[in-house]
Amino acid sequence: MRALYNDFVQTFGNVLFAVCLFLVWGLLTLIGVVIDQGKDASVYFQAYAPPLARLILRLNFDNIYHTPYYVGIIGLILLSLAVCTFKRVIPARLPPLSAVNIEKIRLHASIDVKGDPGSIRNRVEAFFRARGWHVRKRELGGTEWTFADKHNWARRGVLVAHAGFVIIAAGTTIYWAKGFSGDEAVITGQTVSIPHTQTSIRLNGFSYKIKPIVTKSGMIYQPIDYVSQVTAIGKDGLPRTATIRVNHPLDVDGTLYYQSSYGFALRFGVTHDGVRVPALSNRDYLTGDELALPGTQRTIAVAQFVPTVDRQSGVPSADPRVNHPAVFLQIFDNGQAAGAGLVPMNAAIDVGGGWRIIPQRYLLVSGLQYTHDPGVPLVGIGAFVLLAGLIISFHMLPARLFVRVDPSPAGVTIGIAATTVKGYDIFETQFNELVAELERDFNPREGAPKLNLAEAT
Amino acid sequence: MQAKMPLDEVLMIVALGAYVISALALLVYFFSREEWLRHLGIPLAIVGCVAQFAQLAARYELTGVWPLLNLYGSLSLFAAVSVAIFLFFAFRYNLWFAGGFVVALAAIFLAYGVTWNEGSMPAVPSLQSYWAKIHVPLVVSSYAAFMVAFVLSAIYLVKYYFERSLGRVTTSQLASVPAGSAIGASLLVDSMAVRPSVRVDTPNIAEAATHGNTVAQWLNTIPSLAQLDVLIYRVVAVGLPLLTLGIITGAMWAHESWGHYWQWDPKETAALFSWIIYAMYMHLHTRNAWRGVRTAWVSTIGFLSIMFCYFGVNIWISGLHSYKL
Repeated sequence: MRALYNDFVQTFGNVLFAVCLFLVWGLLTLIGVVIDQGKDASVYFQAYAPPLARLILRLNFDNIYHTPYYVGIIGLILLSLAVCTFKRVIPARLPPLSAVNIEKIRLHASIDVKGDPGSIRNRVEAFFRARGWHVRKRELGGTEWTFADKHNWARRGVLVAHAGFVIIAAGTTIYWAKGFSGDEAVITGQTVSIPHTQTSIRLNGFSYKIKPIVTKSGMIYQPIDYVSQVTAIGKDGLPRTATIRVNHPLDVDGTLYYQSSYGFALRFGVTHDGVRVPALSNRDYLTGDELALPGTQRTIAVAQFVPTVDRQSGVPSADPRVNHPAVFLQIFDNGQAAGAGLVPMNAAIDVGGGWRIIPQRYLLVSGLQYTHDPGVPLVGIGAFVLLAGLIISFHMLPARLFVRVDPSPAGVTIGIAATTVKGYDIFETQFNELVAELERDFNPREGAPKLNLAEAT
Repeated sequence: MQAKMPLDEVLMIVALGAYVISALALLVYFFSREEWLRHLGIPLAIVGCVAQFAQLAARYELTGVWPLLNLYGSLSLFAAVSVAIFLFFAFRYNLWFAGGFVVALAAIFLAYGVTWNEGSMPAVPSLQSYWAKIHVPLVVSSYAAFMVAFVLSAIYLVKYYFERSLGRVTTSQLASVPAGSAIGASLLVDSMAVRPSVRVDTPNIAEAATHGNTVAQWLNTIPSLAQLDVLIYRVVAVGLPLLTLGIITGAMWAHESWGHYWQWDPKETAALFSWIIYAMYMHLHTRNAWRGVRTAWVSTIGFLSIMFCYFGVNIWISGLHSYKL
């Protein structure tokens, strides 16, 4: 059991294992980018060869981000991160002060100076202190050692970054546990009740602004604004009027209401043998709704509202502004398509059996989306903690200098070696400059520094 | 009577012209070592960069619409920030050898961006947000940093594989080339080196250079592989926090605009994919054995993922971020 635990810790605490998990996570994410998500199966059969489409559907690549293996890989990354944090990152925070073989460390140098070892040592310590190094002295194995650390606190950068990742995961989990979201298509004048909160929202009015613009590629109709005027009644029971626009949601009792889309509802005048049928005429129909004609197998589907029909050609225009509107109706008899037609407003269409339908008026519909996500503050905090961790880890270089001052035939030899948490190359230039400066400090008349940069091993 | 050209278009032409001449000068400089070419190319790159920022400001002033909301504007910023980041690192670390490649890429992207210019138009409602002034520059700046890292990675890989192609010293032996060896000391004295270095990790190139191999002579004058690796790391270390901040601000904007901070939209997930690759880079860079050619490859792949995220998703994949014009 102990061996199994050790294997687990060794595997999950290994950076390369974490990189492998990142690789799998990245590939799964890429699949989700390339393959359209959440579409009907027919879409995949249209877009891909049948065997590939079947594979996509069978492996749930059409909804990959919610598959057990996608969530699982993130879980494994969090596990690896936790093990790595406790077994590698935290224990490595403050490495003990210990004697080293200076010549064995790649970044090392020695400087020969004249004077007694005690005063030279004090001068070396003062030199490093003056340059922001945290200096400590130890006697190890009968030898006086001087240790100088810089940005030692930045060793915690990885820990901070990992903590940020965990906080984000916690915030996301809170949404899964306690959050909710949904959407409502609200017709002008209609009041809807939000099921999760019992908040009622009445749409007093909706407007949109679209501007035709001539570009180098031709005319386009650029949306400029979508505005819902609403009256909301929350938990306090007090009605409050508000405006909801894109990027300006309405907050009612911690639930945010967003402007997400718009559309049209239609009211028809339905007659049978010239007599108005109130049950079918006194209601509003959204796109996709159907009118079932009583006593027949016939249904009329409201396929699409066309804001503008070209008056000369009679075909739908690309202009989304309402100007000579029409409705595209489809007629089904016993479930089979029996006809279709574009019916201008206030024009009648005879659908057989004495039934006539007249599109009489249209109403604007506001698509409102609502979200309650108590995890957002935590996700936000986690994101900035992650960012702080990354900046600390990448831009602060914790380095340690090992210095010993030994008597030599020529006087005293100062031996210096340096290690960093990011290898030697990244500190090489700084180290050389530091040693050269130290050399100049002790031998100011010598001119160019005479570094005895020993060969690397 | 001919219509007067708007100021922003004039500045765009100035920037593009300056970049093209600068790129040519710096590319020839890379091969010829003629200092006057560097003295010509760098000021022109600065002129182009300044002209581009001025162009964006002029466009904003003339149209009243934040200019980064379409591919034309964002590519313009991308090119400008690429050159700006390069100039910063070049002044800091003496990276002029890479200038020709960075400025040439910036010019290509800028020229491509011009083909997307559809004139000025108001922003769609979801883009009418102060977040556009925060999120877009951050993300585009991260892309620009990754482009500079990509150029350095490509140079690293060329040097590394050329060294291997010479084949007289094996890769494993490379690691044990003594610092301060005679061959290194004699060959690294060059104005293009980042700093006087005691390390030479491409002895074959150094030796071939002394025997008149032209390619070796070009490659020998650029920093050592170890120094290039550090430079790539430093640039990625700028790009990754910028990308992270860009994703965070994008999530905050999405929360305000669409009701969810994360919608698994193709653009978001493509950015996440790039983030994952650069996170892999940073993790691999902590390992001695993986630092170098492998991380250079990861950086290269990372930039390809950035290009996919930038162009592939914007142009070919529809989603909430499909603001092509």
